[in-house]
Amino acid sequence: MTSAAIRLEQVTKTFDGRVVAVDAITLDIAAGEFFSLLGPSGCGKTTSLRMIAGFEHPDSGRVYVGGRDITDVPVHRRDMGMVFQSYALFPHRTVVENVAFGLRMREVPRADIERRVAAALAQVALTGLEDRKPSQLSGGQQQRVALARALVVEPPVLLCDEPLGALDRKLRQQMQFELKELQKRLGVTLVFVTHDQEEALAMSDRIAVMNKGRVEQVGSPAEIYEQPRTRFVADFIGEINILDEAGTARALRPEKIRLVTPDGARVAGRVETANYLGGSTLLRVRASDGSSMLVRETHAGERASRTPGDLVGLTWSDQDTVALEG
Amino acid sequence: MKAVLNKRPFDAGHAAYVTLNGLLLVFLLAPIAIVLVFALNPMPYISFPPVGVSLRWFEKFFASAEFMNALWLSLWIAGCVLVLSILIGGGCALALARGSLPGRPFLTAFFMSPLMLPAILTGLALFQAYLLAGIGRPVWGLILAHTLVAVPYVIRTTLAVLHNFDRRIEEAAAVLGASPVRVFFEVTLPLIRPGVFAGGVFAFIVSFDQFPVSLFLVVPKGETLPVVLFNYMKFDLDGAIAAASMVSILLALSVVLVLERLIGLKAYVKL
Repeated sequence: MTSAAIRLEQVTKTFDGRVVAVDAITLDIAAGEFFSLLGPSGCGKTTSLRMIAGFEHPDSGRVYVGGRDITDVPVHRRDMGMVFQSYALFPHRTVVENVAFGLRMREVPRADIERRVAAALAQVALTGLEDRKPSQLSGGQQQRVALARALVVEPPVLLCDEPLGALDRKLRQQMQFELKELQKRLGVTLVFVTHDQEEALAMSDRIAVMNKGRVEQVGSPAEIYEQPRTRFVADFIGEINILDEAGTARALRPEKIRLVTPDGARVAGRVETANYLGGSTLLRVRASDGSSMLVRETHAGERASRTPGDLVGLTWSDQDTVALEG
Repeated sequence: MKAVLNKRPFDAGHAAYVTLNGLLLVFLLAPIAIVLVFALNPMPYISFPPVGVSLRWFEKFFASAEFMNALWLSLWIAGCVLVLSILIGGGCALALARGSLPGRPFLTAFFMSPLMLPAILTGLALFQAYLLAGIGRPVWGLILAHTLVAVPYVIRTTLAVLHNFDRRIEEAAAVLGASPVRVFFEVTLPLIRPGVFAGGVFAFIVSFDQFPVSLFLVVPKGETLPVVLFNYMKFDLDGAIAAASMVSILLALSVVLVLERLIGLKAYVKL
């Protein structure tokens, strides 16, 4: 399967002439990359995806796929695959007819359609459900049909708009693995929209964190987590402590803090709440000056967890803090 | 071990609910039952209690050329109204729901207005309009008049389906390579069809038992069944009327059942 690079160049989209949904963003997505657009609702991630798909036309800026300017190409000529959060299966058609749709539109010969649909269904482990209607399938199965329907046309680009959002946690995790494996195997460029930071960290090669129509930071999951550039990114991804050191804000992850005895520690305080999370416990420590800090205590050692009311000392090394802009 | 049996407490709300529904059903169905009793009662005038069972009124109804001509005319007109109002109403609803028309609320209210106007006014107004225009009272004039009254039903049911329509389904088709025209015929139309046809059923029935509008617009020897029945009742009040009513009810019912079988109305539209 061929894959294509995507480039958004100074793309702006305004709704109703007032609300700026996407504000002059530039993004380069490499061919074969698993790229996530991550941010809270209303940050412009879905609008950006819809501009790549062609559902929205940018007010200004250009969209390129495989080096070709497709800004003015209508949706049905863009040759992309897309998976929607609501799956958007054709309710009046069977599984086979759903998956065959894109091939039929491309006027692929009937025999080839049958072969390719069967292969696509086998790929997502749906063999045997060919003649069901979407309403007779579970959420996970519908998700797979949507995936097969998008991939059977061998698109160079696969767009996913919160495709796992409607699944329960267990199934969601399983689909995360499957989707990532499938993407690597096919080599397709995948643009993945999500508001779930864990999901983005787990699946992506690179992530663009978006906020208020702008891209705050682009980087690998590790870069985004360990070297957040802005306060928004630091705050949005995982738990964070923001320290004020001589007027500059510095971010410190709760797991970088060590629990020591109160005397001689950088900060001393009392444990206010302890949230047991299984593999670790997240403590909120109220310091003597009234500020509070989050500390992650991992359960690798043998000593018992701290409980609310315990007096603790906190320490960390300066190289674990990251300076933030804004 | 003894199983503990929980006795269900008496639920006054549920009892009231069942009773109310039962009463409503009786209220709705009792007239039909009464008509059936009179249609089968051989007495030459409407009386109670019935003295026997006979099909003489049905025979009289089917043997009468006047009744039969009126029945066929009514069916023909209702069939035309069904087709016309589906085309017009379906188109209007699509335009109202999808087109970015200025003054949409006003247009919607305007298209629905025949529902709010007493049909007798519509009939009178059309009668005068046709007279002024020098059209006279042709059958197609009657068909158009019925269509005018029936179209809002199709608009309403189609709008209801379009309102709940997940447009992502159309988008999915477009991404897969379907041009806007193909999206319409492959996805939009099949999905709104049950709503359109549900409205079509209403349209058929509205036309088939349309009286006030028809009253002004029929010509002698070209009267629809409700008008013929009304005229007949002015002089005779025998079981033929009841038999005619039974036939009308059964015809209307069979139209609903056939459409339900063909397109499965209830799967999509809460009637």
